[in-house]
Amino acid sequence: MTSYQNTDHLAGDFYTQNFAKTAGEGNLILNLGPQHPSTHGVLRVVVELDGEYIMRAEPVLGYLHRMHEKMAEVKTAAQFIPNMGRVDYGHALGWNWAFVGAAEKLGGIEVPERAEYIRVITCELNRIASHLLWWGAYLLDLGAFTPIMYAFDDREKVLDILQIPTGSRLTYSYYRIGGVAQDLNADCIRRIQEFIPWFRSRLPMYKDLVSDNIILRKRIEGIGAIEQDTCRRYGATGPVARGSGIDYDVRRAQPYSVYPKLDFVVPTSELKDARGRYDVRMIEMEQSLRIIEQALDLMPEGEVLVKGAPKPSWKVPAGETYFAVEGARGKIGAYVVSDGGKNIYRTKLRAPGFCNLSLFAEVSQGTILADAVAILGSLDLIIPEIDR
Amino acid sequence: MEALFAGLGALYLAKCDAAKSGQAFQAFLPAGSLVRAAERLLKGGYFIEDICAVDCLEGYVVVYHFDHFETPGRLTLRVLVPHDAPTVPSIANLFQGAEWHERETRDFHGVLFEGNPNFIPLLIDPEMADCFPLRKGEKARAKAKDMLEAGEVIFVSPAFTLMTPDAPAEVKESGGDQPATA
Repeated sequence: MTSYQNTDHLAGDFYTQNFAKTAGEGNLILNLGPQHPSTHGVLRVVVELDGEYIMRAEPVLGYLHRMHEKMAEVKTAAQFIPNMGRVDYGHALGWNWAFVGAAEKLGGIEVPERAEYIRVITCELNRIASHLLWWGAYLLDLGAFTPIMYAFDDREKVLDILQIPTGSRLTYSYYRIGGVAQDLNADCIRRIQEFIPWFRSRLPMYKDLVSDNIILRKRIEGIGAIEQDTCRRYGATGPVARGSGIDYDVRRAQPYSVYPKLDFVVPTSELKDARGRYDVRMIEMEQSLRIIEQALDLMPEGEVLVKGAPKPSWKVPAGETYFAVEGARGKIGAYVVSDGGKNIYRTKLRAPGFCNLSLFAEVSQGTILADAVAILGSLDLIIPEIDR
Repeated sequence: MEALFAGLGALYLAKCDAAKSGQAFQAFLPAGSLVRAAERLLKGGYFIEDICAVDCLEGYVVVYHFDHFETPGRLTLRVLVPHDAPTVPSIANLFQGAEWHERETRDFHGVLFEGNPNFIPLLIDPEMADCFPLRKGEKARAKAKDMLEAGEVIFVSPAFTLMTPDAPAEVKESGGDQPATA
């Protein structure tokens, strides 16, 4: 070994060494990431390989850890809202909603009906943008380059729409305690109305071009089966649970806002594999269009922020509450404990991706390395959300 | 729901207003019966939502949130552990997803989970993993009963005073929808 090489580095870090302790004779320890195209961000997975087969896997987290929960303790509730846009850049409005929803519950604040509909419309648009990002990137993982071009073309339209009321394209902080920051203007509503038929016409093309493609089918059918019992033991929710046939969607199970007034289907799949999760997300995009369409029709005129809405220095009344919403990746939860002080006493953020990824070690065991990438992608991971 | 906790030596059982607190039921358990409670929840089809700790004046309240796919309603288990010996048994051998939640709780609060199969730092760099960023200073700590949802008390062990409101007259009359604590 030459002297200029960093020998500590070659010996592996804490996690590699810890993982290697129990490795089988002659097996290879491989670090997938933290910088790896298939991990979309900085996720690292240490795997023990016997040939191409995965004997053991362990995700290593923390590369994007920012300690949002500590930041929540040094800011007032209103000041913490921008953090929520940065937890999950894929579905930032879902996180906006979970947190302001919890603060509203503790404060006993009623949200004006128009604001509720605006939340539903923008949150569902954001869900479509998130699913499109997943779809494009997942196919890129699996070796298909073209779909992400289509996905980003359509996603761009959604981002253009969301930019009008929110002022941003990715890390939204648009919801306020007691409503939303501003109304949807006529231009925004016109663009949403144009987007619905446009995107509806694109979905069959996605199906013809990609979903039925034999190469894709061979990569995802029968790969990464997740049993319902596994979902319970790991707390998997969202399309991961629904792809295993669990009919659970927070919008239905613990209804919030105006979702009970809207007619939509919660898709599930009995396939349990990567294909099942793929199908669920594709149908969810159609259903989000349906929800947006109805919400536009039903949305009344009126205020978008409750009169006397909390000022930035507003103190959350003492008490504890848990508010959950259905995010693009599953159940987003904000557990808030307040002592009535200037800042919230304790904020716990439940990230669906955290729980969904935790089952990867079990599910990937015994598969080949290439399939592990197909499984990881099928979980739809957004690393900043997992690390928080 | 009470039957679920029969024989576990529960310290405090209460029905909660889900619309207000987001939880349907809560129980304070002695650390020793946590694993048996988790066993029953697993059999009952519950899934694990998350685990976290709240640093209160009386100690760390370790909070376990469970929910149910078929019959939704959040169930909260709590265990109070002292600041100087914060140890609870791990439930990661039953709910494997708890492994990460427990490791995260160790990173943030320094609560130890005995029996966790891979008890190493999760989110914080191993070289600085003993900084416990969410531990509060003595002065910053607040009383658990001033913050945590008391709910509609079903059972409270005579020795358990953590959630007893300051005015002793309130102990028996807990049926009202408005607990009298400030």
